[in-house]
Amino acid sequence: MKSYKFQQVFKENIGINNPVFVQILGICSALAVTNVLRNTVVMCAGLVFVTGLSNLTVSLLRQYIPGRIRMMVETLIIAAYVIIVDVVLKAYIPDISRQLGPYVGLIITNCIIMGRAEAFALSNPPALSLVDGLTSGLGYSYVLLIIAFLRELLGSGSIWGYRVLGEWWTNWNIMIMAPGAFFMLALFIWVVKGNFMKEKAEQGSASAEAPRAASTGGKS
Amino acid sequence: MLISFLIAVAAMCGLATFLAVLMVIADLTIGNYGEVKITINNETEMTVEGGKPLLGTLMGEKLFIPSACGGRGSCGFCKVKVVSDIGDYVATELPWITEEEKKENIRLSCQIKVKKDLAIQIPEELFNVKEYRTRVERVRDLTYDIKEVTLKLLDPGEIKFRAGQYIQFQTPEYELSSESVYRAYSCSSQPSRRDIVELEIRLVPNGICTTYVFEYMKEGDEVTINGPYGEFYLRDTDSGIVFIAGGSGMAPVKSILLDMAEKGIDRKVTYFFGARTTRDLFLVEEMRELEKQLPRFSFVPALSAPTKEDNWKGETGLITEVIERHLKNADNLEAYLCGSPGMIDASVGVLTKKGLPEALIYYDKFA
Amino acid sequence: MTEGLFTFGVFFAAIFTNNILLTNYLGMCSFLAVSREIKTSVGLGMAVIFVMTCTSVINWLIYYFVLVRFDIVYLRYIAFIIVIAAFVQLVEMVIERTSDALYAALGIFLPLITVNCAILGASLFMVIREYTFLSGLAYGAGSGIGWALAIIAMAGIRTKLNIRSKVPFGLTGAGITLIIAGIMALAFMGFAGMITIT
Repeated sequence: MKSYKFQQVFKENIGINNPVFVQILGICSALAVTNVLRNTVVMCAGLVFVTGLSNLTVSLLRQYIPGRIRMMVETLIIAAYVIIVDVVLKAYIPDISRQLGPYVGLIITNCIIMGRAEAFALSNPPALSLVDGLTSGLGYSYVLLIIAFLRELLGSGSIWGYRVLGEWWTNWNIMIMAPGAFFMLALFIWVVKGNFMKEKAEQGSASAEAPRAASTGGKS
Repeated sequence: MLISFLIAVAAMCGLATFLAVLMVIADLTIGNYGEVKITINNETEMTVEGGKPLLGTLMGEKLFIPSACGGRGSCGFCKVKVVSDIGDYVATELPWITEEEKKENIRLSCQIKVKKDLAIQIPEELFNVKEYRTRVERVRDLTYDIKEVTLKLLDPGEIKFRAGQYIQFQTPEYELSSESVYRAYSCSSQPSRRDIVELEIRLVPNGICTTYVFEYMKEGDEVTINGPYGEFYLRDTDSGIVFIAGGSGMAPVKSILLDMAEKGIDRKVTYFFGARTTRDLFLVEEMRELEKQLPRFSFVPALSAPTKEDNWKGETGLITEVIERHLKNADNLEAYLCGSPGMIDASVGVLTKKGLPEALIYYDKFA
Repeated sequence: MTEGLFTFGVFFAAIFTNNILLTNYLGMCSFLAVSREIKTSVGLGMAVIFVMTCTSVINWLIYYFVLVRFDIVYLRYIAFIIVIAAFVQLVEMVIERTSDALYAALGIFLPLITVNCAILGASLFMVIREYTFLSGLAYGAGSGIGWALAIIAMAGIRTKLNIRSKVPFGLTGAGITLIIAGIMALAFMGFAGMITIT
């Protein structure tokens, strides 16, 4: 872990340790806001902002946080940044803010942010934690953007509010509603896990015995 | 403007303070279990502060129950037999408790809290377990990923253990871990040298303890250990002995062999050491030296993937294949294994096929 | 009378037509992780119902008597979350002291619940929709029951699935659970039209 370079953190958070389709975190918002691409972009920006900065703050304060109230302090830090995001959105883009509704506030309970704070920021230096937070947010964002793109396209025939599919297209209303969200995310995970994760899983089970086995020659 | 800001801060602080005070009161009243009496083995009694997990409470009284994960419920080492009623099994204990253990009321002491008087039973040896302050006297490389660490005991200055037992090494808080963790390592030094403890530690990628040992610990540093623990020691019979251990699994075997040489124990011993290539071999000269001191001891290193440069003339193949070839039958034999669960399961398989009863196979499974 | 009917409507809607998990997607993380076994799902479900009902009530009081009174509504996120965290910790202490059986069943779930988005979400939706006290209570209880219903149903389905079906590798775990959730959401949409809540 000492030699965790920025590159490695970036690669992992985007790919093999992706918060959404590997760790299965942050699903609530992934489903809720992805029916309109524009809202998704705003949500993702907000999340990247909060994750990055709260990771940075927790990492800066990690020596001083008493063990007993650790989770409360982390929650308060995250809540503070979320309030900033909420207020900014309300001021500058009120209609999107209204559409997003309570989901901006729900970033506080987004498991990704708390998860990264506990797993990374508490035991790593500030600069690296900031990068970890930002890249986790990015890993989350691109998954959401892909899903949102498809959901809006199929569900409303539009991209970013501009109608692209002509009259001939009957909107798949299900895509804008709850079931569509579940199915799209499941499909995404299926594609990714089925193709990219399969070899990793097979490798994983064979090398599970590796640590001692290599020098005892017990298993190949 | 300023007023509304101040009101906001005041209201929030007020709310937070109210909740904090509530929590403190609750902790002092509801969470306060007062003093509790623990009776051990029907004889020793201790009065302790209630409300904490049993493992931590006992450790606070200098009674050390083995634990590799430091109380997190992820190693299963800290089992204790609870004689009085302490309630149903908690979900986090169940993965570690077998059906027979359930009948014996064996609990995972890091997951049960001391809320009222209780009575427990623990093996007598655990009373012998002490915490030792030591100093790192020497660190030398045995292979590219195994280090030999010699610890000089400071306080207490002597340790009594049986050859083959292990100690728990406490990693301090450092950059990669905000709390200390305990890891178990077998002693490779002979028991007659009571003032030192020698360990063979193999680097585990991203391992909290081994990274500390390999990258942070220096000669002269102080380290805390506790022990000794373990059922891995030579049984007092006349049977022939088969050792199967590779890598840092050699530690307990070396301790037993040195002890045998010193005490003049004359039994037939074969030590099968499995490795991949010659760079995994170490202490070969010491083993050959022991072969001279113990006339009936033979050291059989086997490489499973020797390279051409190795120019290896000795046994090749998986350790299980080598055992298969060497062992004619299992008459009058005992087997002692030390290594990864995978290697142990495979070796147990080969040995039982040769006719060795499982009861005569002793092992330490270190994951 | 109409107030009572409205309250009942809110209660009913929270369980069926506006199910907090299947319609508002809240509480997914623990839903996906815990819904393997019926027994643990029941435990978690009970805990959620209890915590959600109580925190909705407490948060309603805090919102109208503190936040609105002092015009600091924008601090609602902090206020709600610390109330939830404190409440959960208090409950854990009380359960641990009084009932071993209850602790064995519920105890380990309680820390999980603090970060369950459904709990915070219920409080937030309640104030956005400006429910009265009774409706707020009905909404909290109903949402909890709805969430518990969804997770227990999911556990039942997944248990059956484990015995009978061969799920493709890419879908194991989260994938198939999401698809089942989608189908359940479709099914629950059948209740739409019975009650309309905006």
